[in-house]
Amino acid sequence: MDQPLHLVHVKILAADLLSLTVRHTSPTTFLRCGRRVARAELVGVVVSRDRREKFLRFLVDDGTGCVPCILWLNHQYLNARTSSGPSSDHDPTAEMALKMSEEVRLGTLLRVRGKIASYRGAIQITVRDVVPEKDPNSEVLHWLQCVRLAKECYDLPPRSAQGRT
Amino acid sequence: MASAGLKPGVPVILRELEPSSEMFKQGASLRVTGSLQSFDVESATATIQDGSVSLKVDTQHLRDVSFRTNSVYQFIGELQIREVDDAILLARIGRNVDGLDMNLYQQALLIRRQHEAKLLSSRRA
Repeated sequence: MDQPLHLVHVKILAADLLSLTVRHTSPTTFLRCGRRVARAELVGVVVSRDRREKFLRFLVDDGTGCVPCILWLNHQYLNARTSSGPSSDHDPTAEMALKMSEEVRLGTLLRVRGKIASYRGAIQITVRDVVPEKDPNSEVLHWLQCVRLAKECYDLPPRSAQGRT
Repeated sequence: MASAGLKPGVPVILRELEPSSEMFKQGASLRVTGSLQSFDVESATATIQDGSVSLKVDTQHLRDVSFRTNSVYQFIGELQIREVDDAILLARIGRNVDGLDMNLYQQALLIRRQHEAKLLSSRRA
């Protein structure tokens, strides 16, 4: 049976991510070699950052492309709208997002995981978590994992298509 | 500010940066790696080396990078060709990569390029 790719964060290079097929359904879906992907894991260097009140936008450059990423920091607004009781000052999700935003600095090597999204016709990542990578070799390992997974898993034709050939 | 139009810094090995190379182009966005041989404080110019090849890097736009001789650095920026043989990288990003296995890095880069070439040819098909 085919492994469902949309349930996992696929380790991916920016060039592969930015060339996914976008299907404008509701919600928007993304296909890699005919298989649906929904979440991605990237490793690259932060080359640009733009901090606003409700979000942090940044670009991750892995040498094959620059991926726009958005980290939402508006949890207090969402909580105020959804919570009927008195709002709590201590929101661990907001605190975590804020802490992660401080890790995103120019020149830092980051591992970014999140949902693949489309904004104004361009693919971007809605960040779930970011981890600064201290070991520069972790980027090299990520490259090799991406290439191997592409060859052995992601880019294999779906079983149904194999059966027809 | 997050600029969506920014070009990726394509990783290159210093010995590939010859005038005949397709990467040796005015304004090319590159990522270079090498150990710091010297640093000129007045002009903020670093000279990095990999094997017998060296490259000058203009670091005037960099903040929070401290330079130590013989440490390994990686820079992302645009190549400025001043004369036929003389080029400098105008760095916009710099980081220390001490501990990077250069041999592994270069081998992995070749494997990655093959993958990228495959992707490019499948897009053209």
